[in-house]
Amino acid sequence: MTKNKRLLTIFTIACGILIVLPIFFLVISSFKAPEEVFKPNLNITKLTMENFEAVMEKNILRAIWNSLIVSTSVTVIALLFHSMSGYALSRLNFPGKNLVFGWMISTLMVPFTVIMIPLYMVTKNLGMANSYLGLIVPMIFNAYGIFLFRQFYKDFPKELEEAAYMEGLSIARTFFRIVLPLSKPMMIPLTIGFFTANWNNYLWPLIINQKEELWVVQVALANIVGGGYETSWSIVLAAALLCAVPTFIVFFSMQKYLVDGIKTSGIK
Amino acid sequence: MNFKRKETLTAYGFLLPNLLGLTVFVFVPMVYAFYVSLHDWNALSPKVFIGFDNYKKLAEDKDWWQSVYRTFIFTIIYVPLLVGSSLFFAVVMNNIKKKFEGLARTLFLLPFAITSVISAVIWMFLYDPRNGFINQLLDLLGIPTQQFLGSTSQAMIAIIIVILWINLGYNMMIFLAAIKEIPTDYYEAAQIDGATGWRAFWNITLPLLRPTTIFILIVTTIGSFQVFDQIMVMTKGGPANSTMVSVLYIYKQAFEFLNMGYASALAVVLFLIIFVLSLTQLRMYSDKD
Repeated sequence: MTKNKRLLTIFTIACGILIVLPIFFLVISSFKAPEEVFKPNLNITKLTMENFEAVMEKNILRAIWNSLIVSTSVTVIALLFHSMSGYALSRLNFPGKNLVFGWMISTLMVPFTVIMIPLYMVTKNLGMANSYLGLIVPMIFNAYGIFLFRQFYKDFPKELEEAAYMEGLSIARTFFRIVLPLSKPMMIPLTIGFFTANWNNYLWPLIINQKEELWVVQVALANIVGGGYETSWSIVLAAALLCAVPTFIVFFSMQKYLVDGIKTSGIK
Repeated sequence: MNFKRKETLTAYGFLLPNLLGLTVFVFVPMVYAFYVSLHDWNALSPKVFIGFDNYKKLAEDKDWWQSVYRTFIFTIIYVPLLVGSSLFFAVVMNNIKKKFEGLARTLFLLPFAITSVISAVIWMFLYDPRNGFINQLLDLLGIPTQQFLGSTSQAMIAIIIVILWINLGYNMMIFLAAIKEIPTDYYEAAQIDGATGWRAFWNITLPLLRPTTIFILIVTTIGSFQVFDQIMVMTKGGPANSTMVSVLYIYKQAFEFLNMGYASALAVVLFLIIFVLSLTQLRMYSDKD
């Protein structure tokens, strides 16, 4: 039994290393000179920073900045709106509650790719094309966050709110002053989820924005790759590595919460 | 004002941003998609109403149905591979030495920190037909150089491997979380009856993972029908259209050829396909109960 367990452990770690290998190649190859990039050696004396200097000319920092602005804005606004809606749908009583909830949930059935063309037209007609607004606003609204907040507030202890009402606080104040600051267990996994999803978003920014100075990382990176053979692989990989840094930071600092988030989204 | 009135007002106040947003950015586009699909429109000149002509045209559009067929093929290969491998590794992960579980999880989950475009970039480098590491490895094994993304027969599989690579760890974690929720006394009771190992897996683990499996199956199938990012970066649908999936075809019709009306009709049909597929899946899985 223990021998089996040891074999199984070795097998799993070996598979894990195999899975990480492409990322290892990404990191190492980014520091190699262009003529060395396809050599499978690890000549540390020859490592160089020149790829990153070349990447700077391709405006990748600007794209990273754009992505940070877009992903952060969507995340912050979405968390606020979704928590408010989720709270109303789980804790407040009002006519039309089930209807509103049913309608919101039904929008989950509409895949993004199905509405991307009319969404592009609507956003363009609102004058938001080729601007931060067009990249941000349409991405805020999804019933997924509303649904998860509703579930979360169902299990929230009622006593706190009752005490607040006794003190004479209004419903809105109770929510913003007492309930919202205690919503961290739901906020953290959703922050990770919304931020990475928007950082990852490629199709929508590709459609809605044609201005080069508003390119987000995924679009900028895809353009560097699509640039053909004049760009060396070592430079492309260095650019990719730079674009991966923010999500790696999120990943390593939030890994514990990430697992909790997976549990919430997977089971409930 | 009494409490009830205040409560109703506050509730609608809280719901207002999302009611507005979901209406403008989800509901209106859904209806608008159907409206535009009844028109001939190149996004620049005024729309011309043509009834169901776009639908008649798409019924005979061989390239479109081929893209649908390719999307099906992608789904039929990818979904079982993903569900099978993530379930397999979740079960294995649950049985390794506890000391190493954290490390193993991190290794498996690491590709999740990579975006789809970055994953495409890394694998294009690895698949490079002239000097890529995979071809170098094949060379060591005495296997001739392969084209991978440049080959009509290999490109789709090559892309499936990339998407599998990026999603395996995440789905494995969902399974692992569900496995850990199964009370250990179930296995202890089974052990008394002599059911261990495979039989315990078959009779306890698998049935109890049913809801999780169904969840992953449906979500992954819907996702597969919308596959786009990696294909757009790696092959743009080529070579010779061998990776031209439905969403890419719609994207090209709309934003490269500016056939907005026609592309909208295609999108409506894609929606119906996804809708019917999800319903059939739900039906299929609940029938077995």
